[in-house]
Amino acid sequence: MGRIAITGIASFLGARALRRLAEVRGPEALLAIDIAAPPARLAGVRHVLLDLTLPAADQRLLDVFREEEVDTVLHAAFLTNPRRDSGYAHELESIGTLNLVAAAAAAGVRHLVMRSFTALYGAGGRNPHLLGEQHPVSGADALGWVRDKREAERHALDYARRYPELRVTILRFAPLLGPGVHTFYTRILERRVVSVLMGYDPLLQLLHPIDAVDALDTALRKRVAGVFNIVPARAMALLTALHLADKVVVPVPHPMAYALANLAWAAGLGEAPAGFVDYARYPFLADGERARRDLGFEPRYDSHQALEAYLRYRFPHGETAPDGPVLRRPA
Amino acid sequence: MTRAEVVSLNAGRARRRRPARSADSGTDELRRLRSQLGEAREALVRAERQSRRPGLLAGLARLAESGISLANWETLARLQKSLYFAFHSERVDEFGYDPRFAASLEPLLEFLYAVWWRVETVGIEHVPASGAGLVVANHSGVLPWDGLMVKLAIKHQHPARRHCRLLALDMFALLPFLAPMLARHGEIRANPENAERVLREGGLVGVFPEGVKGVGKYYRERYKLARFGRGGFVRVALRTGAPLIPCAVVGAEEIHPVLAKADWIGRPLGLPYFPITPTFPALGPLGVIPLPTKWSIDFSDPVPTEAYGPEAAEDPILVNRLTEQVRTTLQQMIDGRLARRRSVWFG
Repeated sequence: MGRIAITGIASFLGARALRRLAEVRGPEALLAIDIAAPPARLAGVRHVLLDLTLPAADQRLLDVFREEEVDTVLHAAFLTNPRRDSGYAHELESIGTLNLVAAAAAAGVRHLVMRSFTALYGAGGRNPHLLGEQHPVSGADALGWVRDKREAERHALDYARRYPELRVTILRFAPLLGPGVHTFYTRILERRVVSVLMGYDPLLQLLHPIDAVDALDTALRKRVAGVFNIVPARAMALLTALHLADKVVVPVPHPMAYALANLAWAAGLGEAPAGFVDYARYPFLADGERARRDLGFEPRYDSHQALEAYLRYRFPHGETAPDGPVLRRPA
Repeated sequence: MTRAEVVSLNAGRARRRRPARSADSGTDELRRLRSQLGEAREALVRAERQSRRPGLLAGLARLAESGISLANWETLARLQKSLYFAFHSERVDEFGYDPRFAASLEPLLEFLYAVWWRVETVGIEHVPASGAGLVVANHSGVLPWDGLMVKLAIKHQHPARRHCRLLALDMFALLPFLAPMLARHGEIRANPENAERVLREGGLVGVFPEGVKGVGKYYRERYKLARFGRGGFVRVALRTGAPLIPCAVVGAEEIHPVLAKADWIGRPLGLPYFPITPTFPALGPLGVIPLPTKWSIDFSDPVPTEAYGPEAAEDPILVNRLTEQVRTTLQQMIDGRLARRRSVWFG
């Protein structure tokens, strides 16, 4: 059996997967490809410093795959947080994936496992209650964040069709929440006051990182091609989550919310552009039945437990935000 | 030291001694001075005490100050949290049904059912005690009270106390405030995938095939069933083998008599219709109170669909025939009830 190459080891999921695989298969079976070095503790892991966005990245990747006898690639180089420099995100996610799959196909790699997001379906009032994998991922096309990832999926599936010997597994993960997760939405959870949309309380799926890494591990072992939603056992309501985290909730009427979110994003105060407001308005729940049936993946945690695990990790003493009176007492 | 002064240690005594030695007029003067001194001292003590006791303004200022220190984010968060969880459970089911929320709405719905509309439910035994079933009812009343009453009838009158999930129209299921409330109450958005999911799990689903045409119909069109969509509900029943249970609601079509519709108001507001009734919008918010008519809810023999097999869902002729069969059954049930009814208010 050849090596497993892992991209995006500096991302949360990539780093966790690297750690798990180093434990399960030994560090010598792994090859880390990233512009960041693997953590010092994983000294045995071979590392190739390679930027997926460079014009000749596919040629270099091909050389590396051949030299290191890579037969499996775990592609986790994706950006969870929306960025203001959307050009880089596009180069990394869309073009980077194109470079990677082209090199993998040419090098005769047998299995590519790619990380993706259930958010690609888009949050919409007219979504079916649980979104199946066959549902088009074009619901939130206005968001560059979604577009780049959707293009990455399409590149991978195109190559899978043209090179039948390359099996492509795409795992669409529900939003991760749990110990060690730091993203734009956990930054919102760290505030004392959170704005929500007045009159909306959508259900959310929050995936515990242990389940996410389990799913990656399962996909690498089973080598089943296809697209799979990786979701927790149960969803929970957004307001329930915020109140369990002891947030002060400020409802904003939705006609104003989009403009305000864009304003805050442009001013550098917001965590995400206006396109993300939809995710606080409508559900985007994915159906995990196919992963259960074909991969044998059974989540161990539900959304509620993922939230509790995160709160215990982030606020071990029970305090859930920096405290202080609303108005300062005169000195 | 520019103003050094030498004070003798017995200067006070010397001063006290001096008046004693002086004339009697001097002693009176001294007494007067002494009493003045005492008064001044008392006044000073009183003033000092008073400055410690707050006056009205000082008191208000102090109260406001302590109020501000009480109104910190933590107290606010705790207040919001306890308010929220007073009416919501932490865990909801797959579709967002929240038993605590449903229970908190129940008193109002029970009042409407038993007192306001005095609903008479007949034939509840036609609703299966277990397994899938699709309850098909007529729709009317501007606001979908009829659906909630059918749901309550099945929950309270049926021996199995079954939870019937209603398929809510998009226009209700997407509105702010109403959308989360419907979900918490156990309703699901009208969509074939959602209905099939519940039916496959052996659940009961309530559907109103007239849809928005039914709920917003004119008073003059009352009890004339509108077109039954495109038979989507029959296809769902065929695919899952669930029986169709016709359910006729009489009385709901008079709760908000729609005399006219002002689409020019409704459309900019994103509403499918803007009804004009004798009380709305003339009486403002009071116009939302439905009229206390007398209601009846009749269930009839289920129409089995299992024998056709799931592939029959692709047969448009059969789907159309079953749709028409359910529609005529419903219309007959409604007409029968209307023929027996003597009063809109007393049945």
